[in-house]
Amino acid sequence: MSSYFDDKDLAHFGDLKQHAPELWSAFEKYYAASFEPGLLSKREKVLIGFAVAQTSQCPFCIDSYTQQALEQGLTMKHLGEAMHAAASLKAGIALAHALVAHNIDKKVSM
Amino acid sequence: MTPFHARVEASFGPLRAERVTTLQINVGRKCNQACRHCHVDASPLRTEMMSDDVVDACLDVLAGAPEIATLDITGGAPELHARFREMVRRARALGRSVMVRHNLTVQFEPGHGDLPRFFADQRVEVVCSLPHYLPETTDRQRGGGVFEKSIRALQALNSVGYGGGGGLVLTLVSNPVGAFLPPRQEDLERDTRDHLSRHHGVVFDHLHTITNMPIARFEGWLKRAQVYDDYMDRLHAAFNPATVPGLMCRHLISVGYDGRLFDCDFNQMLEMETADGLPRDVRALDVRALAGRAVRTGEHCYGCTAGAGSSCGGSLA
Repeated sequence: MSSYFDDKDLAHFGDLKQHAPELWSAFEKYYAASFEPGLLSKREKVLIGFAVAQTSQCPFCIDSYTQQALEQGLTMKHLGEAMHAAASLKAGIALAHALVAHNIDKKVSM
Repeated sequence: MTPFHARVEASFGPLRAERVTTLQINVGRKCNQACRHCHVDASPLRTEMMSDDVVDACLDVLAGAPEIATLDITGGAPELHARFREMVRRARALGRSVMVRHNLTVQFEPGHGDLPRFFADQRVEVVCSLPHYLPETTDRQRGGGVFEKSIRALQALNSVGYGGGGGLVLTLVSNPVGAFLPPRQEDLERDTRDHLSRHHGVVFDHLHTITNMPIARFEGWLKRAQVYDDYMDRLHAAFNPATVPGLMCRHLISVGYDGRLFDCDFNQMLEMETADGLPRDVRALDVRALAGRAVRTGEHCYGCTAGAGSSCGGSLA
């Protein structure tokens, strides 16, 4: 193993099934059903997947969901908007956590 | 990778054509563009063009076979052939539908500015290449400035009545700009219609998605980018047996500029002529002998069966 992350590993994701087959099958069904078009289109769900992948910093998922987005007719211009929407929310979340500091200061400081 | 013929036989049986209803003629390799995905390797530098005796033979075949409903003219940029307009007129005079694979920008070549009027007068179905509704994406595949020229050419076609639903049919064709499958045809058609209408005032009738074939110039790019194997794996994994009945090779015969016969334009570029024992030259062709013929296949055929499928008429399933 030359590195912890190798793009070829994505094809072996299913190898994890051997360690807990029933749980894996349940996950596969859940995952597949969640990305079926419903009230949201396939493309909207792929964009959600892309945003989660990016903000979760998962290289496998970013690879997969970028390619899926391209196959949905989206381009890097579309993904550029999506990545900033996701990143700005992430920034907002980080700032919102600072409320804890703000509140603690108010609580303990004179 | 399972050979294509074995994969088809397992789900459909041996791949055989039905009767020929479309005569697709590739009148030459010369083009005013040199697109990165082009399976013909067409460019302004190519000189191969259909000779007079082959043009005459194609028109004779059309005249003698009323079951051929459509003449599909491709290239290169077919409008650059000296007898292009004569071919269209004579096919229309025979009462056949004519489709022209039109790259749009050829309208701006000297002597071709009146093409929209000519197409309208002959009631040709115009099938135009436009990979994407965003300029930078289209220009990456087709060359700098092509999008802007293409929009002006589409506006010229609209101005003579194309794309408005009045019977002059304007079809756009979109190829992915890279090593991935096209989106759902209906989705891209909806987005493209909305975008072109709002930003450019352009209307059209249909949009067809076509998968890039892993041959010729696109194959070279795949290999240089070191994604050839990944792309072939993608095509293979996305094999969809529901696409097989509609494959274009089952309904057309492809004629090369030199008169040779092929099961499709892709086989033509790979020099894979019709199977042994079948007619191999348009100058000695009885079209009825091609009905039910065995189709020659190769690994590139996975490009036509991946996902929703791909053909000269767009997706298949």
